[in-house]
Amino acid sequence: MSIYKQNYRAYTGKVTPIWTRVLVLARYGYAEAWSSKITVGIFVFSLLPCILSLFGIYLANNPLARALIGGQGPRGLAIDARFFLNILQIQSWLALVLASWIAPRLITYDLADNAMPILLSHPISRFGYVLGKFIALFTALSLVTWIPTLLLFFYEGYASPQPWASVNLSIAGGLLAGSLIWIAFLSILGLALSSWVKWRIVATGIIFGAVFVPAGVGGIVSAVLRTKWGFLLNIPFMMSTLWERLLGVPGLVHPNRDLPTVAIAAMLLLACIICLAMLNARIRAREVVRG
Amino acid sequence: MGVIDLDGLEVRLGNRTVLNGLTGALQGRAIGLLGPNGAGKSTLINTLLGFHAPSRGSAHVFGLDAHRDRAQIRGAIGYMPENDSFIGNMSGVRFVRYMAELAGLPAQEALERAHEALFYVGLGEVRYRKVSTYSLGMKQLIKLAQALAHGPRLLILDEPTNGLDPIARQRMIQLIQEIRKEGSVRLLISSHLLRDIDETCDEVLILKGGRIASLCNIEEERRSNRSFMELETVGATEQFSVSIRGLGCECASFPGGRIKLVVPENIEARDLYVIASQQGVQIRRMNLRRDSLEDIFLRAMDNETGRPAHVNL
Repeated sequence: MSIYKQNYRAYTGKVTPIWTRVLVLARYGYAEAWSSKITVGIFVFSLLPCILSLFGIYLANNPLARALIGGQGPRGLAIDARFFLNILQIQSWLALVLASWIAPRLITYDLADNAMPILLSHPISRFGYVLGKFIALFTALSLVTWIPTLLLFFYEGYASPQPWASVNLSIAGGLLAGSLIWIAFLSILGLALSSWVKWRIVATGIIFGAVFVPAGVGGIVSAVLRTKWGFLLNIPFMMSTLWERLLGVPGLVHPNRDLPTVAIAAMLLLACIICLAMLNARIRAREVVRG
Repeated sequence: MGVIDLDGLEVRLGNRTVLNGLTGALQGRAIGLLGPNGAGKSTLINTLLGFHAPSRGSAHVFGLDAHRDRAQIRGAIGYMPENDSFIGNMSGVRFVRYMAELAGLPAQEALERAHEALFYVGLGEVRYRKVSTYSLGMKQLIKLAQALAHGPRLLILDEPTNGLDPIARQRMIQLIQEIRKEGSVRLLISSHLLRDIDETCDEVLILKGGRIASLCNIEEERRSNRSFMELETVGATEQFSVSIRGLGCECASFPGGRIKLVVPENIEARDLYVIASQQGVQIRRMNLRRDSLEDIFLRAMDNETGRPAHVNL
């Protein structure tokens, strides 16, 4: 099948192992995500809080700089669990913005042009397809969540005159666990909702809606029924509570709103299961040509 | 072992039995899959690709179970679906490379093969254009290119000439004939256009209502079958028909003096002229032809009333 001969020839070269096909999907998905200038713009914007925090850590650990700005207040330049909680929260919500932009790009192009029958006629299962897309989105979100926050943690460990990192290792664990839970949830939610919408912009809006609309409903439920369980629909509230506990920051929430960690974990797990069922139903329906 | 072996294959979708007890071995280099709409052609293809699990019986492709070993089978198959199926946002070469990598080619080889496949099908000049900007004919060709790029052992083409103008159709048929001639790829071509199958295939599986209506080698069938003759006559046609039946011909009379008959090997045209002369019947036109795929198909459909409505001849 050489170009100049223009005739067909069979392929006799080596073939990659079947498990690597998921990585092909992930690689193409990742490239698709970053092919948009808006993705790059959101990513750069997402790094600004980290750069400011980096500057803050530098100031906090530089006596001359502290003297120059005259900031010696107890909270002003304290690098502790609360400092990292703030960074984690900011980065996590920026990750939501990035996910709502990238997730539709990974799925809707395949669905809009009915590519599923061709994609899945290759040695790749429905699970493999979703896993490949998940890896692409998860990797992109990692770049704005646990990777920069852990880098800040290690920089503080390096810059601090005392042995800071070893004493505060639980903060690093909390940053990692909190970020991983959030971006895994966001990735599954983003892919599931994108698979049900044909237009990317609509899908972006729906992802935002899925995070914030139930929070309002949960608030109404809690107010009307005078119960704290309505807050289980409030994803921002649940995640804030979870992040506080993971980083060991004393709770800021009202005792009447205090949700058990098990209930939060169960709710997130249930949401993920529903999303996976949605994805499975959607892809199954589109994998064969009907008629 | 055939290319495809069916052993009492039954596939149910919901409460409906779509394929009902298909049994047979398909061994041709190019196998045609014929049947009216709803006969089960697409379901059979999807079953061979492992999308549907048989409710009874089994299907084997190159000796591998179509459902259990579907990953292996899919690696050895190139599939060109009937409907539009592509990623419009990608350039032609990127799309074909992507599909080749998914089929198992390393990235560099996949890129080389993508270029080659696109030149081979005639899309070399437009390979850097986004697929969404392609015409309908180009979209058919890029589906063929992606099915070929990884060098499959079996190429499944579902309605390959759908929506093509006569020139593009001719080009597609020519490509299929070239691939068949090259010899390393077996072909399974589903179509409701008898002409496409006639021009490209050497074996045909005709489905009707989810069952096998006929499975035959087209060339052998043509050779072994009887000759058909069409006559246009003027005069006592009825009496003439009775007389030629006496010679051993099967015949049917139609208004306007038209007669269709099956001529046994030992009867020649001269014998018919002799009888016509004796009875004062004029034979104005005589058309002798061998069995065509159309005849094979119509015989397979003979239990249906009249001609199948959805088959274009």
